Amino acid sequence: MKHLLSRRRFNGLLAGGASAAALASFGRFAEAAETVRLIWWGNPDRDQRTKEVVDLYMSNNPDTTVVPENYAWGDYWQKLATQAAGRNLPDLIQMDYRYIFEYARRGQLAVLDEFLGNALELEDFDQNQLDSGKVDGNLYGVSMGANSMTHVYKQALLEELGVELPDPTTWTNENYVQMGNELKGKLPEGMYFSANMGGNEPRFETWVRQRGKALYTADGKLGYGVEDLIDFFAFWQGMQEDGLTPPADLQAQATGPMEQTMMVTGHALFDFIHSNQLVATQKLVPDEINITMIPNQEDGQPGQYLKPSMLLSMAETSPDKEAAARLMNFFITDPGANGILQIERGVTGDASIRELLIAELSPTEKKIVDYLAIVSTSIGDLPPAPPQNAGELDRALLPAWQAVSFGQVDPQAAATEYYENAERVLERS
Amino acid sequence: MAATAVAVNERGERRHGVPLSIGHRLRREVRRNAAGYLFMLPWLIGFFGLTLGPTLASLYLSFTDYDLLTEPRWTGLANYEYAFFHDQRLGNALEVTFTYVFWSVPLKLTAALALAMVLDRSVRGVAFYRAAFYLPSLLGASVAIAVLWRQIFGGEGLVNQLLVLLFGVSGPAWVTHPDYALSTLIILAIWQFGSPMIIFLAGLRQIPQDLYEAASMDGAGQVRQFVRITLPLLAPVIFFNLVLQTIEAFKAFTQAFIVSGGTGGPVDSTLFYSLYLYEEAFANFRMGYASALAWILLVIIGIFTAIAFFSSRYWVYYDDEAR
Repeated sequence: MKHLLSRRRFNGLLAGGASAAALASFGRFAEAAETVRLIWWGNPDRDQRTKEVVDLYMSNNPDTTVVPENYAWGDYWQKLATQAAGRNLPDLIQMDYRYIFEYARRGQLAVLDEFLGNALELEDFDQNQLDSGKVDGNLYGVSMGANSMTHVYKQALLEELGVELPDPTTWTNENYVQMGNELKGKLPEGMYFSANMGGNEPRFETWVRQRGKALYTADGKLGYGVEDLIDFFAFWQGMQEDGLTPPADLQAQATGPMEQTMMVTGHALFDFIHSNQLVATQKLVPDEINITMIPNQEDGQPGQYLKPSMLLSMAETSPDKEAAARLMNFFITDPGANGILQIERGVTGDASIRELLIAELSPTEKKIVDYLAIVSTSIGDLPPAPPQNAGELDRALLPAWQAVSFGQVDPQAAATEYYENAERVLERS
Repeated sequence: MAATAVAVNERGERRHGVPLSIGHRLRREVRRNAAGYLFMLPWLIGFFGLTLGPTLASLYLSFTDYDLLTEPRWTGLANYEYAFFHDQRLGNALEVTFTYVFWSVPLKLTAALALAMVLDRSVRGVAFYRAAFYLPSLLGASVAIAVLWRQIFGGEGLVNQLLVLLFGVSGPAWVTHPDYALSTLIILAIWQFGSPMIIFLAGLRQIPQDLYEAASMDGAGQVRQFVRITLPLLAPVIFFNLVLQTIEAFKAFTQAFIVSGGTGGPVDSTLFYSLYLYEEAFANFRMGYASALAWILLVIIGIFTAIAFFSSRYWVYYDDEAR
């Protein structure tokens, strides 16, 4: 009878098996060596571009696995807060200027200074763009692009009506109202001159900055007076009463998403967006649109500023910070990656990349670059870091304004109530 | 206790054969029930891990200041104090929620009962109608329907187009007008009458037909039969539906969240309690305060359920109990 298994064969199998097991575990080890999780908020266009960059990175670095995760703006911060609570933040996090202070000061973000010059090669990066990612002197995020506030308008229609826009750096709210009155009755059915921005916080921020004030002081208090808000509400109430903006219930349909804005639904000739949003907005509006600066007040100071449209930050809990820093570097400085990203997130602060991109911009993207060139001749400094609970006050401005627009209270009462509540909220944090 | 006593007795009487110690019996008991526990395991894990654990955690968190990003800090009753004495938006949220509960629940139950009585007859294709009327309840709580509602009651929505077509008047944008927004949500709630309707149907089937026959022989009309026979005998079912729907209504969230774009607007007119709670927890990073709000809601629902139960002894008649 033959033995099924000779001693020698048994030993051979054992060795083979062991080495196979070792190889397998080595394989797993190699695979697990670099896994980088990346999270961002965006729109379908941005999601597509970002995933393409991720694929490009993985094909260049086969031993790295990038796990992407993306949400819409409204869901993003809830998701992120929950992950932070569970000590489970993704390694790389798309950050917003308002939230970076909150996350950095609460110890959730990694200090990036130690990677500068090795994994992060930001030698060509604009200093002021770099500074916008600093909290208390440390670098916590790298700007993915600059943007600024704008008034977006239907360029094709304005040309058809034979209207020429005044110099964007000097035009005023009076010019704005006057233009609206002149165009009254000439606009298509159902379209108003301007969306109503009485509940729009960035628009209000330009208003107070034009008056030499700010939304918040450096020590986290309100940086403006109640009379500024009363004037602001009164201005937009006047616009609404004169029929230059949509009635309250129509305007109230714009609750946030881009598809619901008065510009996209065809109810306004002028509306408010941030400059990088021109690309996505143009995709939703059939006729040609363009952007210009926010009108100033008589003898006003520059109300606008260049801010990072979004930043890329790293979680303090990231198990492999080197790997995360390399992917971050790829997003910020790699020509191939930026060829895919273009300026959808804003105009990059990396000078050499910017030159590469400007050569092959689409007409819409070129408008953004041209616009930022104009704005940068007439801007103020970055405002001080917003305090905790600033997001809550941003959201509270809309209902306060709506109480005015629906005729429930007058600007004085609404502004006073908002202001007193804001002081309480800031104290509570 | 009884098992132990028996075991001791047995041990005292044992002579030969297999001795049965307490441990032994216990092990046999466990082995006999093991399969049962095994089958219950998924539910048990779910209950302890996903329901009881978080519930107790939220009780603890309700006494803390917790922003999700840093460790919770014990603050005693501060959250409850703020809720009871300082929070103006909470007062508004309570008003909105109570208005919603007091209108939507009775109207929904009335609609459910009326349709149940219509569908109780043996008409051709009644099964189809039953399914058709139940459909909104399956769809109603969904995001899709809330989005559709937004369209129907929007400025250029179906309702306003019909108004222009039929009466030549143009209506406001119902969902985004503070005077009407809550009403559209109440209508949406009434439209989801399906599950109480099914329960009413089952209840109507339980009422003995001979009572109606006797009543009509005595000359009682339809209305009198409804008031004297249907309503009293249906009382336990009405009570059951009332409690269930009230609890549901207090917890309403999805519809308001979608229809108002998550803002509870316009002018906080659809800021339901649960929507406010959610906003405090996840948008304003006050998980501790939101936990306190959740426990306050639990107590409110508890009080209303208790009132319903206490009042029920005066109007609910159970067939199998002596009065």
